Amino acid sequence: MIKKMLIGVIAGFSMLATTAFAEITVVNPQKPGGGTTVWTEIIMKELEKHLGERIVLRNIPGARDIPGINKFHNELRFNENTIVVTHGGNGVSFLQEKVDYNYAEYDSIGLMNLNIIMGKVKGADMDKPKFAGTSGAVPEAFAIAMMICGPDKSIDYYIDCFKENVTWVMGMSGGERRLAFKRGDLTGSRENPATYQIHIAPDENAELWFHHGLLDPATGGHVDDPNFPGAQFEIQFEERYGVAPSGEFYDAYKLVKSFRDGLQKAIWVNKGNPELRDRLIDAMNKMVNDPESMAIIEAKNGKYEWFIGERGNQMRDTLMTFITEDALRNLVKFNKEALGLKSILKEDLFPQNR
Amino acid sequence: MLESYFIVLMLGIIYGFFVGLIPVAGATTGLIAIYSFVTFFQDPYMLVVFTTAIVVTSSIGDSFCGVVMNIPGAGGAAATMVDGFPMSRRGEAARALSAAISTSWVNGLIWGLAVFLFLPWYTQIVLYFGTVEMFTFLIFAMTCVIFVSSKYWFRGLIALILGVLVGRIGEDPVTAADRWTFGWDYLGAGVQIIPVMAGLLAFPELLSAYRMKAQNIKLTNGIIWGQLIEGVKDTWRWKWDGLRGGLIGGFVGLVPGIGGNIADWFAYSQTVAVSKKSPDSDEVPVGKGHVRGVIGCEGANNAQKATSYVPTVLFGIPGAPFEVIVMGLLMYVGLELGTPAVLADERFFDVLLSSYLWALVIILPISYGFIKYAVYITSIPFKYYFWPILASLVWSSTQYTGLLDDYIMLAICMGLGLAMKYFKFSRVSFLIGFILSYRLETTYVQFNTFGYGWEEILFRPAPAAFITLTVIAAIWGLFFNKAKIDFV
Repeated sequence: MIKKMLIGVIAGFSMLATTAFAEITVVNPQKPGGGTTVWTEIIMKELEKHLGERIVLRNIPGARDIPGINKFHNELRFNENTIVVTHGGNGVSFLQEKVDYNYAEYDSIGLMNLNIIMGKVKGADMDKPKFAGTSGAVPEAFAIAMMICGPDKSIDYYIDCFKENVTWVMGMSGGERRLAFKRGDLTGSRENPATYQIHIAPDENAELWFHHGLLDPATGGHVDDPNFPGAQFEIQFEERYGVAPSGEFYDAYKLVKSFRDGLQKAIWVNKGNPELRDRLIDAMNKMVNDPESMAIIEAKNGKYEWFIGERGNQMRDTLMTFITEDALRNLVKFNKEALGLKSILKEDLFPQNR
Repeated sequence: MLESYFIVLMLGIIYGFFVGLIPVAGATTGLIAIYSFVTFFQDPYMLVVFTTAIVVTSSIGDSFCGVVMNIPGAGGAAATMVDGFPMSRRGEAARALSAAISTSWVNGLIWGLAVFLFLPWYTQIVLYFGTVEMFTFLIFAMTCVIFVSSKYWFRGLIALILGVLVGRIGEDPVTAADRWTFGWDYLGAGVQIIPVMAGLLAFPELLSAYRMKAQNIKLTNGIIWGQLIEGVKDTWRWKWDGLRGGLIGGFVGLVPGIGGNIADWFAYSQTVAVSKKSPDSDEVPVGKGHVRGVIGCEGANNAQKATSYVPTVLFGIPGAPFEVIVMGLLMYVGLELGTPAVLADERFFDVLLSSYLWALVIILPISYGFIKYAVYITSIPFKYYFWPILASLVWSSTQYTGLLDDYIMLAICMGLGLAMKYFKFSRVSFLIGFILSYRLETTYVQFNTFGYGWEEILFRPAPAAFITLTVIAAIWGLFFNKAKIDFV
């Protein structure tokens, strides 16, 4: 133990120096302790075993986890041995905030396609839900609006209907949100699959509401999550209204949920670095085929499919097809008028301008 | 596994006792210094053990500076030295230290058991503590900070407002847009807590200690043992002073933000008041080197540290400045205090209770057995501590990005800390405003979104109680608080 501690202390003092000489550096846009940091630490530890090289985490935190990825894009991606990890929030920011990074300029090493699960208080009136809003919960707001207000309405109708029926409570941290849900102050809550099992599944007063489903990059459609069968938003919607969700508002929902959940956790390398890319993809394939590594990863993150190398690129390319001028306009309009967020319309993302 | 925990506990005890011995260092500085090494604790519960051991043992260690050197102990608390140092000059240093250690220890045990043994049951309170309760609780805490913590209440108010404003730099929780960043991307995620703590609180004290003239008292073996026993007897003889101090410390610890110095001085002032009613004709009066003065304030010491864990663990609201660091450290290893995950974590509570009690049990023989050597450590000139402590503060404060921005932010905080100390604007008020600002704003937003109003504030039991206490604290602080402290 003492030996371990001493090694730790020495490693701490030499951290800056070792970063410079590390085999591979992974840029992480969060500070230590953040969700993506913890995820990256788990993955990199397992990946190292199959890569046979040391991987050093470099945290570059900042507002909404954007500066770290911007720095990778503008500067660090040109380093021979530097890669980056991104999360779903970065995907949403890419759509509605001024950022420098652009997924199209990177190759995918691997990504995990996650899902967000919604819980509700048993017996609560979910046509008048009380829900903790954050900038990361935009897809939930879209889904709730459609679930309450019905199929194929105009964007203005959805905005008015949402404002009239949904208590969208801003400024709650994850901990506050969970406590408020437990107290019944909130009637709905959202979790990733792993935290759903911890916070909602054991709660005898709570039950599954719906989930967003998993994006199939080959078809561009969302499919049911085998971990929560029958509860996908599209399935629930069709059961309630007799028709599948569609229309311009649904397109905006599909856009924002896919960029968040489809890129929930992703590892990228700059294009034009095939040697590093292939080395990492090879190690990643070995990792996902190693039951021991996957048991460790799944214990923390739940059991979800990995999209490695070309399949990751396919996911990214599929997501880009969801970006249309109307979908972006509706996304920004709903964010601003229904949720009060300061989103910007990024005209450079319109298909005709890309 | 158990032996690993024991080793970590011993390391925490030794480190905590040592930083407690260093003038003005104490728990807060000691905890800031380990920030850079937090990721080496692979097992989060080991960090719980380590931080708890530091908190407990630094409280015992910080009596030494006041008694032996006539320099304030941790965080600038000076109450112990008022009577402790004159006793040392009379050749009764060991007696004063023994009384301080035993009183602090006994109250630590009483209040530690009261808090940590029952903390898992207190978690039920959280379920009744909604937005309105939290909002009024924050108002109460801030009122206490302004009107109870400093003699200069208006400057305290200004400092608190400034702290709130600085705390709100970064992301607007409603619009998710940058706020008051002046185009400096670094501020987008807000001003980080470590440079604020290090620059505002620790650095000005470090500088003061460097310039202070220490007076060293030496102990000789011949008189030590007799005096140590005499000190324990004093603790028993003046037990009500010690227990009253514990009660004051215990209460102060429950209110976020009004830290150990307030508890120490308040307990001391009550001891002075009581001693005037029942003077001991055989000895010097309290304030001139009477052991009651030492016992009165030391009673509050560990009691306050124990109870400050209650708001910290239950609500994620730091009960004292050092708890901010404890919270931050534990968050790094995935233990977010005040969340359902931690509140339902039985192992966390077991580890907290056992590490607190073991640290308390182990430090007693250490502090008595090594009293002479501990005194020797305090006699080492402060200049030898100054640079290593400063280096650790800078190191910890620049781990956020590791870039120039971190150094600039630290320099700004240091400058602000020095200016506030010089002009007597309460840095503690600033810090509390800074720390609580996020909760204050978001709770206010939630209060409005849920559609609450005066009705909920005035007619729900807990909010009504907090508002009543707020009014009492303001009136008492303005007109009746004779023990207001000239400490900023």
